[in-house]
Amino acid sequence: MIQVDDLSLDAPDGRPLQQGLHLHLEPGGSLLLLGSGGCGKSQFLRVLAGTVPPRTGRVRIAGVQTWPGEGALALAGRVRTGFVFAQGGLLSNQTLRDNVALPLRFAGTSPGETRARAEAALERFGLLSVADLRPHAVSASQRKLANVARVEALQPEVLLVDDPLEGVEAGDHARVIGWLRDWIQDAARTLVVGLEEPGDFGDLPVRRLHLSPIAPAEEPR
Amino acid sequence: MRFLARLGAPVREFLVFLGDQAHLVAQTVRFGLKLRLDQLGTVAGQIRLQIRFTGLQAFLLVCGTALLLGAVTLIQAFTQLSGLGAKSYIGLLMVLIILRELGPLLTAVLVIGRSATAIAAELGTMQLNGEVDALAAHGVNPYQYLLLPRWIGVLVAVFALVVFFDTSALAGGFLVAHFKEGVTLGVYMDSVRDALVNRDLLATLLKVFLFSSAITFHACRHGLAIRRSQTEVPQAVTRTVVSALVAVFLVDGLVAAFLYA
Repeated sequence: MIQVDDLSLDAPDGRPLQQGLHLHLEPGGSLLLLGSGGCGKSQFLRVLAGTVPPRTGRVRIAGVQTWPGEGALALAGRVRTGFVFAQGGLLSNQTLRDNVALPLRFAGTSPGETRARAEAALERFGLLSVADLRPHAVSASQRKLANVARVEALQPEVLLVDDPLEGVEAGDHARVIGWLRDWIQDAARTLVVGLEEPGDFGDLPVRRLHLSPIAPAEEPR
Repeated sequence: MRFLARLGAPVREFLVFLGDQAHLVAQTVRFGLKLRLDQLGTVAGQIRLQIRFTGLQAFLLVCGTALLLGAVTLIQAFTQLSGLGAKSYIGLLMVLIILRELGPLLTAVLVIGRSATAIAAELGTMQLNGEVDALAAHGVNPYQYLLLPRWIGVLVAVFALVVFFDTSALAGGFLVAHFKEGVTLGVYMDSVRDALVNRDLLATLLKVFLFSSAITFHACRHGLAIRRSQTEVPQAVTRTVVSALVAVFLVDGLVAAFLYA
């Protein structure tokens, strides 16, 4: 499902972050992308999502080549992808409800089903009471949960999660961890989760890729 | 060599800018043609918002400006050209000055001041907040959701504003002609109609299309080029105003040269 060959990444300021990355993830597979802050996890996830081009290398998602190429534009309408951003990522001029519903509407889901799925996702993460507020009017934790609710409603085939617990209040940790564990164990989804440490996911039988500042090393399953 | 490089840098930057603009237009047209029927409602909602902001909310400003401009044009004409029979040239003056040139041009200037700046600032802030990336990462094509609605919205709004600008300016001119020189509405309209030629309609439509496109894509390009910090937002807004104004005046000159020279 995800195929990465000889990938090199740069930071936004042009600093080299990683080089020679290879990754082959089968459909339904999951990967924990581990490494300390600043080693390039977020940048790697953005390259996989098709929003940032790599310096060199080739990326294919579900057989569609994104790099070199048009990135996420090549996937639109062909592969359903989702991204839980570490921070931000919500449209500031729309309510949480509209943020959750927009990718569904654009994917051609009927209005009734869009409403029902958005409602269910917002309810699952305790956001119904603030669903009609815009992102600036809710807490950082609720914004992060809205990011999660958006992919829960969209049900993407490929899900990229950047630091799932960053900014989430301690009281909501269990909710996010439970949701992510369900998704990791779902054979219909392919997941890449960026984390500093495996932490609450350490016991799951998933592949891990450790990113150190330059030399990457992939651990066996 | 360094001197030559410095000399060539602005030319290279300009060519890169033109390339970016052409890429934005081509991609917007390409993805616009690929819009599915079930996506039209979502895109139409964004178009409505853009028309409301660019057109409806600027309506009074444009009409007020045009009314005064039409009135002032004929006040000056009657004052300065009274000995030359200005009364018999009122239609020609209004068509030459207002309908042919200042109507589309001043409307574009007002839209640059109100809407192009807003588009650049909005897209720049969205880019900084990762909102554009978030759209793309969830299958929402930014060309279809952000650029196409802004282009169509500005196009429709500028067309409507030019029509209202011309109408208001003619009304302002008529008020002066009527109360200062006793010209009746019939005489005034006949005079305007006699001065109009079919080419004027073509020129106006061409200008509306080219001005709207220049305004939208200059604003989008400068807004989306923001990458690093909030301080780039006002810089992008300033660049948008300057480059869109230059583009609009250039297009205006070219249209006049091709159609009237």
